[in-house]
Amino acid sequence: MSTKINDMYYAYSAIEDIRKKGEYGGVVTTIMKYLLEEGIVDGIVGVSEGQDIYDAVPILVTDPADVIKTAGSIHCGTLNIAKFVSKYLNGARDMKLAVACKPCDAMTIRELMKKGNIIEDNVVMIGVNCGGTMSPVQTINMIRDVYELDPKDVIKEEISKGKLIIETVDGEKALKIDDLEENGMGRRENCRRCNLKIPMNADLGFGNWGVIGELAGKATFVEVFSDKGAEIWDKVVESGLIEVTDPKEKGIEIRTNINNFMLGQSFAKKESDYAGTTGDIIDVFYHYRDEFSKCMKCYGCREACPLCFCDDCCLETEGPDWVPGGYTPAAPFFHLTRLVHMADSCTNCGQCSEVCPCEIPVAKVWSTVNNKIREIYGYFPGMATTGPIPFTDHVSKVKRL
Amino acid sequence: MVEIKYVPTICPYCGTGCGLNLVVKDGKIVGVEPFKRHPVNEGKLCPKGNFGYQFVNREDRLTVPLIKENGEFREASWDEALNLVARKLKEVSDEDPNKIGFYACARSPNENIYITQKLARVACGTQNVDHCARICHGPTVAGLATTFGSGAMTNGFDSIKEADYIFCIGSNCMEAHPLFGRKLIQAKQNGAKLVVLDPRFTPTAKIADEYVQFKTGTDVALMNAMIKVIIDKDLQDDDFIAERTKGFEDMKEAVQKYTLDVSSEITGIKPEVIEHLATEYASAGKAAIVYSLGITEHSHGADNVMSTANLAMLTGNIGKEGTGVNPLRGQNNVQGACDMGALPSDYVGYRKVADPETTAWFNDYYSGEGWEVNLPAKPGLTLVEMMNAAHSGDLKVLYIHGEDPVLSDADVAHTKEAISNLDMLIVQECFLTDTAQCADVVLPAAGWGEQEGTFTSGERRVQCLHKAQEPPEGAWVDWKIMEEIAVRMGVPRALFHYESAEEIFEEIRECAPIMAGMNRERLDTPEALHWPCLSEDDPCQPLMHKDKFAHPDGLGVFQAIEHKGPVEVVDEEYPLLLTTTRVLFHYHAAMTRRCETLSNEVKTGFIEINTKDAEARGILNDEVVRAFSRRGEIAIPARVTEDIRPGIVNIPMHFVECAANVLTNSDSFDPKSKMVELKACAIQVEKFDEKVEIKKELYKDGTDTEVKAEDISTTTVQVDR
Repeated sequence: MSTKINDMYYAYSAIEDIRKKGEYGGVVTTIMKYLLEEGIVDGIVGVSEGQDIYDAVPILVTDPADVIKTAGSIHCGTLNIAKFVSKYLNGARDMKLAVACKPCDAMTIRELMKKGNIIEDNVVMIGVNCGGTMSPVQTINMIRDVYELDPKDVIKEEISKGKLIIETVDGEKALKIDDLEENGMGRRENCRRCNLKIPMNADLGFGNWGVIGELAGKATFVEVFSDKGAEIWDKVVESGLIEVTDPKEKGIEIRTNINNFMLGQSFAKKESDYAGTTGDIIDVFYHYRDEFSKCMKCYGCREACPLCFCDDCCLETEGPDWVPGGYTPAAPFFHLTRLVHMADSCTNCGQCSEVCPCEIPVAKVWSTVNNKIREIYGYFPGMATTGPIPFTDHVSKVKRL
Repeated sequence: MVEIKYVPTICPYCGTGCGLNLVVKDGKIVGVEPFKRHPVNEGKLCPKGNFGYQFVNREDRLTVPLIKENGEFREASWDEALNLVARKLKEVSDEDPNKIGFYACARSPNENIYITQKLARVACGTQNVDHCARICHGPTVAGLATTFGSGAMTNGFDSIKEADYIFCIGSNCMEAHPLFGRKLIQAKQNGAKLVVLDPRFTPTAKIADEYVQFKTGTDVALMNAMIKVIIDKDLQDDDFIAERTKGFEDMKEAVQKYTLDVSSEITGIKPEVIEHLATEYASAGKAAIVYSLGITEHSHGADNVMSTANLAMLTGNIGKEGTGVNPLRGQNNVQGACDMGALPSDYVGYRKVADPETTAWFNDYYSGEGWEVNLPAKPGLTLVEMMNAAHSGDLKVLYIHGEDPVLSDADVAHTKEAISNLDMLIVQECFLTDTAQCADVVLPAAGWGEQEGTFTSGERRVQCLHKAQEPPEGAWVDWKIMEEIAVRMGVPRALFHYESAEEIFEEIRECAPIMAGMNRERLDTPEALHWPCLSEDDPCQPLMHKDKFAHPDGLGVFQAIEHKGPVEVVDEEYPLLLTTTRVLFHYHAAMTRRCETLSNEVKTGFIEINTKDAEARGILNDEVVRAFSRRGEIAIPARVTEDIRPGIVNIPMHFVECAANVLTNSDSFDPKSKMVELKACAIQVEKFDEKVEIKKELYKDGTDTEVKAEDISTTTVQVDR
């Protein structure tokens, strides 16, 4: 076989227990197991269940027998996978990894690769479609108070045709996602702005959109996005661990329509989020000055930001006291300094807002700033594998002879 | 191959009880990551939560027992140290159990605290067991028990998000309970009005809708005037008063003399502002009171607390979501330490020592295998009384489990004199703290992250901890240390032997009806369980006093209270009133000052002084100044600021090299709760004649402190030229 970039398939696992426990045929789990068994990677980074089904925990698996722990989906996986790889796994310097990633994880990993903080040759990105993720506590409260279901009974949730469907053994209940989100429920705010739903920046992309006919619900839609992905796909199919068929034309169309519909929603959300900040970057900063004035200086956004990776952070230098130690609320310089360090690469992953104890809409601010940088520099974080990052790389205009 | 895992557990600093994930790499804690599934904080943390783990694997962890000989510590085997301690405890308890005292550790899991009080009561036969709640929320426990019948926070934390009006007095929650502070921000987003009253323009005040500055220690005068306004304007809840309370008439009479003018004079708040506050509090649909140590740490702390209870009952703002009296408990497990019976007047579950039947029940429960327990039905000494008894020579042995009174109790000189009077000071610790340095025997203990157990947060939520790594070799789990001591004292091992912390918790459930329903399956979940939890099918809702108060007759009791004010007042010699506080980046000292990020942020202490007071003394910002009271003096950098009321100065209490408690007053006692006046004493601040520097970042290099406890207040001053 010789798979090419942008080839598409329906696929499901040939391994029975994985097919049962995994979602939509368990293809991702099967590939992970294969890569580990064959020694193509030393470890896989996946997601497992923590204290309950709403508690997604990143996990490094090095024993193929344990890969099954990552099978199936967790309700609220708002994890910071790029940070897990760069901070705790030393940016894949010491081991080869296959990483299951949402599109935003893949974008951030791409940025970190370009910044030299994750080693590209040592990472296989197993991308998963994502229409948005929901924060666990808020979701539990919504299921209990709005859906009037016991959160413990929920087996699945899904967004389809503009509705958020919550499924229990007794059936399903659907509410309009726009209504929920207008009231601060539903997907995280950054997800609602997201402009990448199918991880075309990963090596392989997986999801259930577009799987129709008798395989609906039983198979995964696969698209190949890189040469590395193509090579792996060939091998795993050849191994016989995965059953493959061609996708239905109608299915491809449906997948595209779902993607476009979601991107349209995101576009509208961005329009409204960016409204009122028509000036330059400093104007955005000024616009949100009251929000920043709440900052207790917990450093949570810096800690969560996967693009912040300095060992010695300039926010903690001995002096000069740009941001004087111990004074709260923090001086505006705190966030202005962060802006300079990450805004050009910001992938709108939302981790900063999610950890902010002062309810500052940090991700929204940086997304607004990054949008301006995009307009000026034409640089889209997380997409291209090469090319200069606006504030990070020097661009020489010298004529080489 | 690298092994990595996330271990969900509970933050070891304040009483909010946030969840966090410890990242464990190859068996060692290497970081903290958000635990977004946790219902209290949803993955959000303050700086202490983010960086407070850094102390765990420090080089200066204690790993060998230490015995002091001729003023110097020497290393000892566990056997030798345990035998020495057991022999001494046995000898003195045989002579007179009242000569032994125990300080339990409010940072430690419930199981350790329970065993501490069990060691005191069962092995030593003494009721002298207490902990730092005495000088923290002791007045809350006393004041709310008198008025409502239970000394705990009346509502859950999330309840505040439903309030329409929040009266936050003497609480700087954005620094001291930051993730509760977040709920205030959320409440505001939901439309609540937030009013902060404090002598300092705190970070909490800065996010409020209204801020009122007033004189330290004048809370009762303010609240009595508010009560009078509410009654005069007929804004009280007559039905609630009639059906749910008693004592209203007495209180009404007592407040009559607190006219707006009288209280304005006392508090320094304009009369129309007091009237405005009263009217708004009483008129709001749902009004909540939030307070903390600004209310309690006074010689009239219990009076302050009862005034808040009066206000809430007067307006019917209790027993409903969005209302209540919400004291924010200090330490992560200070609620648990009270619950576990580390109180001289209460057994586990607030069962009363003074009740002969209860004491007989415990004597019977704890006796067995030939060991007779004969506790008297008479409360023992409180923490402050124990220290005073040591000072006067009546207490001979003090066993301190994880507390640091040399730094945290009022009047350091008095504390050190008291300690030096003891026959033996035993300290069970992770680090050689300022108190441990004064000990005769130091027992190295396992710390946070290294043991299983439970913490109980300020909203009475009992939450499971999970062990993330092994303790350093040589450090033992606290309850095992205590088992060995008890056995060496002759107690049959069967009475003190447990296979796990969970087994201890099962004993707690047997003894404490308020926790009887807490089976492990329900407890070890992110939501965990609130007490009271009387049975396994009890829904354990956090809201208390819904239909009746916790007194036997179900009625809340109004209290007639007079304004007393601070015991020590300012005069010409000592014209500034000192208050003491905490900063966001530290929680006491032993742990946070050993966390690099936190120590970098705030390296040493400072005295906040108003621009005018500084100007009058020629003091510049950051200049090291001399601060002194009738008790002692310190050298400390000045923080010149408009954020504090003229005439009032503030020192954060964490820093031994410029310790606030060298200056504070230990003889001003609250008769109702035995609280000392940590938040008000008269001092003077002066410029030094020559340039002076102080040592800071004491624990930076990972070895032990450069400043010895006995040198506090003297050698911290280095004259530059």
